[in-house]
Amino acid sequence: MTLLAIRGLTKNFGQVEILKGVDLEVNKGEVVSIIGASGSGKTTLLRCVNLLEDFNGGEIILDRVAIGYTGEGGARRRFGERELARQRAMTGMVFQSFNLFPHLTALGNVMLGLTKVRHMAKREAQQLAMNWLARVGLADRATHLPAQLSGGQQQRVAIARALAMDPKLVLLDEITSALDPELVGEVLNTIKLLAKEGTTMLIVTHEMRFARDVAHRTIFMDGGLIAEQGPSASLFRNPKNARLKEFLKRANL
Amino acid sequence: MEHFLHELWIARWALAQGLVLTVEISVASILCGSIIGLFAGIGLTYGKWPLRLPIRAAVDCIRGIPVLVLILASFYLLTFAGINLTAVESGLLALSIFCGAHMGEIIRGALQSIPVTQIDAGRAIGLTFPRILIYVLIPQAMRQIMPVWVNTGAELVKASTLLSVIGTGELLLRTQEIVGRNFMTLEFYGLCGLLYFLINSVIERLGKFASRRFALQ
Repeated sequence: MTLLAIRGLTKNFGQVEILKGVDLEVNKGEVVSIIGASGSGKTTLLRCVNLLEDFNGGEIILDRVAIGYTGEGGARRRFGERELARQRAMTGMVFQSFNLFPHLTALGNVMLGLTKVRHMAKREAQQLAMNWLARVGLADRATHLPAQLSGGQQQRVAIARALAMDPKLVLLDEITSALDPELVGEVLNTIKLLAKEGTTMLIVTHEMRFARDVAHRTIFMDGGLIAEQGPSASLFRNPKNARLKEFLKRANL
Repeated sequence: MEHFLHELWIARWALAQGLVLTVEISVASILCGSIIGLFAGIGLTYGKWPLRLPIRAAVDCIRGIPVLVLILASFYLLTFAGINLTAVESGLLALSIFCGAHMGEIIRGALQSIPVTQIDAGRAIGLTFPRILIYVLIPQAMRQIMPVWVNTGAELVKASTLLSVIGTGELLLRTQEIVGRNFMTLEFYGLCGLLYFLINSVIERLGKFASRRFALQ
C-alpha cells in the first residue's frame, strides 16, 4: 500500500530551482534512504514532506490525502495554520542538530506533543514517554536536561520525541552528521530497531553503509531530481548513473 | 529626634497613602507595560512588515521621548481629544506605554536569540505557532527577560516620582507637602529616599528568586 506519493514536486528559493519535479512513492513499512551531494535537494525534499517549507508545484499525498495545499492552478492555496499543524503531526521529523527544547527535560521533550497536540492526560503521556525513552535506552536519563546529555543521547531523545507521536511516516534528516564518530553507532542501532519493527522511514543520510544495510530502497538525488533509484543492495553494487558512480567512489564505501 | 518622631507621627497617614499609591501605580504599570511589551516584542520578531513597521515606529518614538514629556502629554494633550483622565489614570497610561516600549525591545531581543530551528521542532510535532510561542519560545526567552525586567521595574518605581508634577499624590508629592508644613527638609526627604530604596530592594529580591526559577539548571 502506498503511504506517501510525491508527484512532480517543484520548489524554488527565489530564482534558484531546488527541486525540479520529484516523483517518489513510499510504501507502508518501507525504509527508503536518500543520498546525494550537498545541494542536491535531499533535505529540502524532506522539509517539504513535513510542510516546514512551502513548495511551488506538484503534490504530496500522505495516506491518500493531499497535504499542504488545497485546490489547483490559480485556486491553489496553502492550508491554514491549524490544518497544517494537524497534517504535520502525521509525520515525525528528526533533525541533524537534534533541536531538543533546552528548557525541558528529556521526558518533558517527549511529553510536550503528547499533552498539547494529542491531548493525552498527563499521567498517560508520562507513561508513554517513559516507554519510548526506555526503548531508545534512556530511561535513566528522563529527568536530565538536553545540556546534560551527550550528542548521541540527545539525538535518541529526539527520536523518542518523534516516534511517541505515533506518526505514519518518520523523516530523518542527516541525523548522525552532527555526532562524534563514536556516538554514531548508538543512534543508527536505534534506527535499525525501528526498521525491523516496520516503521515507515524516509532517511536522508551520508552514511552509505547504513543506507545499504538498512534501507529497502535507495534514491540518488542530483540537481533537484531523482537520478537513479532501486533496491539498496543492487544500487550500491551496480550503479548505472555516471554521477552516482562518481559519488559512490568518493564516498569510499 | 523627638521632634522628628512627633512630626512623623502627624504625617504618618499622608506618608502611608503616598507609599501605597507609589507601589500601586508601579505594580499596575509594570503589569500593563509587560503585556503591551509582550505583544510588541512578538510582533517585532515574528510579524510581517505591515504589522512590524507601525510597532517599530511606535516603539522608537516612545523610547525617544523623555518620560516626563510622556506624562505631561497624556495629562494635558488627551483632553484635546475629548479624553479626560485623572492625574492617576494619565500617569498610569504614560508609565505603561513607557514600560511597554522598553519591554517590547527587550522581548524582541530575547526571542530573536532563540534559533529558528526551535520553531521547526515545534512545528514537526504538530504545534501551531501560538502554542510554540507559549510552550517553546517564551519559556526560553524568560531566562533572558527576567533580569532586565527587574531593572525596568526599578526604573518605573523611580519614574513614578515624576507623576508628582501633575499632582498625583504619590510618595514624593506627599513628602513635599509634609516638608512644606514642617520644613524638616533633610529628615523627610531622607526618609522618602530610604522608602524608595526599600521598595526597589524588595523588587530586586523577587527578581533574583524568579530568575532562579527560570534558570536552566
